[in-house]
Amino acid sequence: MKKLVITEFKRSFKSLILWTSIVAGLAALMLMLYPAFKEAFSQIEEFLSVYPEAFLEAFGMGEGGLDMSDFYGWFGVEGYLFVNLIGGSYAAILGGSILSKEEDDKTIEFLLSKPISRDRILFGKAIVVAVNLLMLNTAVAFVLLIAFAIYGNINVPVWLLFSYAPFLLQMIFASISFFISVFVTKSRKVLSIALGIVIGMYVVDLISKLTDEFEFLKYFTPYEYVNAVTIVNDEMIKPLYLLISVLMIGFSFTAAWFFYRKKDITA
Amino acid sequence: MIKLQKLTKYYKKHARGILGVSLEIKPGEIFGFIGPNGAGKSTTVRTLLNLIFPTSGSAEIDGLDIVSESIEIRKMVGYIPSEVNFYGEMAVKDFVEYACSFHGEIDRPYMAMLVDKLELDLNRKIEDLSFGNKKKVAIVAALATHPKILILDEPTSGLDPLMQNLFFQFLEAEKKNGTTIFFSSHNLSEVQRICDRVGIIKEGELIKVETVDDIMKTRAKTVKIKTQDGFEPTDEMLKIEKINGFISFVYTGEIKNLVQLLASLTIEDVSITEPSLEEIFMHYYEREATR
Repeated sequence: MKKLVITEFKRSFKSLILWTSIVAGLAALMLMLYPAFKEAFSQIEEFLSVYPEAFLEAFGMGEGGLDMSDFYGWFGVEGYLFVNLIGGSYAAILGGSILSKEEDDKTIEFLLSKPISRDRILFGKAIVVAVNLLMLNTAVAFVLLIAFAIYGNINVPVWLLFSYAPFLLQMIFASISFFISVFVTKSRKVLSIALGIVIGMYVVDLISKLTDEFEFLKYFTPYEYVNAVTIVNDEMIKPLYLLISVLMIGFSFTAAWFFYRKKDITA
Repeated sequence: MIKLQKLTKYYKKHARGILGVSLEIKPGEIFGFIGPNGAGKSTTVRTLLNLIFPTSGSAEIDGLDIVSESIEIRKMVGYIPSEVNFYGEMAVKDFVEYACSFHGEIDRPYMAMLVDKLELDLNRKIEDLSFGNKKKVAIVAALATHPKILILDEPTSGLDPLMQNLFFQFLEAEKKNGTTIFFSSHNLSEVQRICDRVGIIKEGELIKVETVDDIMKTRAKTVKIKTQDGFEPTDEMLKIEKINGFISFVYTGEIKNLVQLLASLTIEDVSITEPSLEEIFMHYYEREATR
């Protein structure tokens, strides 16, 4: 299995570099804008005050939300979202394609003619997904560490949470896409569905924050689980959300395994 | 070495799979598995490799069950697929190393010989190769570890006649080493050339298993006559056709009766030849169809 993992890793390396550059680059860009923003903050505050409270809350700037003049608050509102949206998209694409690509390109016939069990193939691929995502987030962690060091104070728990909470969200999207790709083997279709979920869940997140009657929807969107407000203000991920996340990831991978092991691989 | 017992596979979407296929292949034998496209050859191969699961029946390879002990089986099986789909971005040498890494030791000198004779460029990327060259990669990857069993699904498609010839030489050498070979093909002349026995599959059912020698020894003859006289066709005349003024048919009856018939006609020209495997094959097919 070692050889499989290494080969898979090599095959996915280029796209990892590309996506990591985008995500870490955007995070860096937003962080570099902070000093300029801080100077103009009083004007922006005035500008923001005309928006309804619900709107500000949707973006984490409402009552009890993030303080944008603070460096962590700034990143929580402006940078963190990109990491989640774009990192989430990468996760969905990676998780959705790592298995379906084999069937789409028909290379699965080669792989399954080799003495390696389907369990190991799935496990190996899931590991590659997790490792790739961890590496992406580690790159972001470096960017954040440098930025936080430059701007003064490093709050270690917040730094770690900002760096690795997105991993949780990404793993949710990756595992769901992975599961879908057991049934939908055309890569393109899997990716449309997977990206639809990433964007759709964000919309759900916005709706749950904009309206009171749909607030319950927050339990269904991974963006809420790794909410920046909780990270900055409480320095934590809520245990309930952590539990849901782990269960969702575990369930998706297990279900994928359950169906894949008995699946006919037809030409 | 390979034993199928009423092996059956139905597809949900596609109607036909295979139906109650039973056969036994001896160790060290080259077994030809022939039938037209869609007859169930690939379904059988895919079931043997556990890419798909049998609906009923069972099969064993070297005493191991094809479903529950598939991994053990695949350790000793070299497989050449009919359509070669490998990782395009990999260089040929990396791919061969990767493929062989699952099986164990590569016989390096042997592999170098294969690569040399097949004129394969190890440094090229697989996606840049032609269909025939991809097939060569599959051949090298399948043979380089000297598997105990070879499962070949239309292995010669895409190879030019020279390369086909080479490939058969490789197979003959493997056979001498005791390798058992399951050779699926729709090309009867190649099966005739290389195989010890042949199984004919039609619409998912195995209709005949015979040695190549026995098939060729059948009393059937291909008869071509040029005559202006009319004659009454009998049940023993199959595949009656008119080609370029000749009447051609495959004759399966007593030779004595044929000679008597010919003697009664005014014949301008005649040829009586051994039928090709193709014709025998058609003969089985048509006989099945008329049942």
